[in-house]
Amino acid sequence: MSKHDTPLLDELESGPWPSFVTDMKRQAEKKPEVWDILGQLELSFKDKITHWKHGGIVGVFGYGGGIVGRYSDVPDKFPGVEHFHTVRINQPASKYYSTENLRALMDLWEKYGSGMTNMHGSTGDMVLLGTRTENLEPLFWDLTHDLKQDLGGSGSNLRTPSCCLGKSRCEWACYDTQETCYHLTMHYQDEIHRPAFPYKFKFKFSGCPNDCVASIARSDIAVIGTWKDDIRIDQAAVKEYVAGNYPSNAGAHAGGDWGAFDIEKEVIGLCPTGCMSMNGDELVIDNAECTRCMHCLNVMPRALRPGKEQGASICVGAKAPILDGAQFATLIVPFMKVSADNEFEELIDFIEKVWDWWMEVGKNRERVGETMQRIGLPTFINVMELDPLPQHVKEPRSNPYVFWKEEEVGGWDRDIKEFRKRNAM
Amino acid sequence: MALSKEELKEKILEKAMKAAKPQLYVKDFYKCDPETKPRAIKNAANELVKEGKMTFWSSGSTTMYAAKGRAKDEEGEGGI
Ligand code: HEM
Ligand code: HEM
Ligand code: SF4
Ligand code: SF4
Repeated sequence: MSKHDTPLLDELESGPWPSFVTDMKRQAEKKPEVWDILGQLELSFKDKITHWKHGGIVGVFGYGGGIVGRYSDVPDKFPGVEHFHTVRINQPASKYYSTENLRALMDLWEKYGSGMTNMHGSTGDMVLLGTRTENLEPLFWDLTHDLKQDLGGSGSNLRTPSCCLGKSRCEWACYDTQETCYHLTMHYQDEIHRPAFPYKFKFKFSGCPNDCVASIARSDIAVIGTWKDDIRIDQAAVKEYVAGNYPSNAGAHAGGDWGAFDIEKEVIGLCPTGCMSMNGDELVIDNAECTRCMHCLNVMPRALRPGKEQGASICVGAKAPILDGAQFATLIVPFMKVSADNEFEELIDFIEKVWDWWMEVGKNRERVGETMQRIGLPTFINVMELDPLPQHVKEPRSNPYVFWKEEEVGGWDRDIKEFRKRNAM
Repeated sequence: MALSKEELKEKILEKAMKAAKPQLYVKDFYKCDPETKPRAIKNAANELVKEGKMTFWSSGSTTMYAAKGRAKDEEGEGGI
């Protein structure tokens, strides 16, 4: 494989930032097929069209996911990327790797693939970019037998679940995100490795509303830690912050010159619900109005902590903008206990209720959030066997009839003449 | 009454052989037995793949089913 002229790509090396073009040129010294990726990408820049074809029947025996078939549509020009399949590897919970494991994975990928990776894909998996069909089975054998790791999900499978650091490092975690993620990953192995739905389905687990895995924007079911009772306040620590003895945001913004800490301006004035105030030098929170936005806890972590009655809010239906535009998940269950004590029974029941409905009612290639939007939230809440709650209402009074069903009001169509006999204008 | 699993698999395979398009969505098989739950139909279709009578065809974001030999050749198709 020869080196190609890449004047357009070379421009991407001229800025002050690290460049993937430089990285790929370096990798091409070891793996000559990488020259052909650069060559094909240059051609795409010129033609303003992709030269990748994807899709097909490639995979490993017994699995229906984890490998995404990818081919060049100009293989005569770039034989090194005639096949260039992507391999998804299920990441460990919270992406904790040992360097030993990372080295073993990279050795494996130098042996069977291009050596190029994407750390990590937006679903959470480690993504290995570029190998040939005949390398897939040997790669899979070594991965599962020597490294004891497994492929992630792709296609219409349950996608690899992912979680935040949770209780391993973070004192804000309101439930054990790693345990939950691991348990559900094991529980749904069949759904992860074989197609299970009309389209993709994702869950993600964040321990608190900071939502470090962006579950509310990226997953069909987002499990976000929260608490029911009052924010725990250490008034002595509040005074230390006010006196400037503790750095705000745990020192995260210490680099800039922000002036002295001002609790009115930086905490109370920025509370989105306006539910905080000072009573003398005591901080007061009207917890009934607090939306658990995390702002005040983030600014004063030594003074404020989540309450003690902890669990999670369940939101459904986020997606990226392929059809109607991006959409966030909608709050469906404001508070659920999430616990290994009952093997996550409540959460699993909820998930399967969503699946049963969506598989029946969803169209091909329709995410559950789109089905919800098409059919309407009242129906969805009804199917989930939940009572409508104030938390389901985005804004009050725009439509007082929203929770009524046709049969409950004797039909939407009225005989206006009949009505006027009894009710004069 | 719902079909037995073997009867269901037979119907699914028949549909996959006869359908005008070689690649079918899992939803296309729901009609094989309206009394069986979608997840059970999915399981029957996946068993046929395990037995080598059907294959998966994946675009990367969606997976379809085809009777063995009817799937478009693996050099693939465009799309997402
Ligand atoms: C101190 C006196 C008053 C207070 C504190 C008060 C408070 C309120 C509140 C809290 C609402 C509900 C707003 C909402 O649902 O978003 C409301 C609605 C309403 N008030 Fe008053 N109100 C007062 C005087 C009056 C007077 C004197 C009138 C009429 C002459 C009036 C007519 C209405 C009407 C028609 C509504 C319904 C508005 C709507 O449907 O959007 N109010 N009021
Ligand atoms: C022939 C006379 C009137 C007609 C035909 C009439 C008609 C209406 C209609 C169609 C609505 C909307 C109802 C809805 O969307 O649910 C309405 C609302 C309202 N009308 Fe009248 N109206 C009349 C007289 C009056 C008078 C005399 C007053 C006050 C002194 C009044 C106060 C209001 C108020 C406050 C509302 C808002 C109620 C709410 O938001 O809950 N109306 N009217
Ligand atoms: S989401 Fe919350 S609990 Fe999880 S790591 Fe981030 S801040 Fe901590
Ligand atoms: S968590 Fe957010 S809404 Fe609640 S008191 Fe703090 S700043 Fe206000």
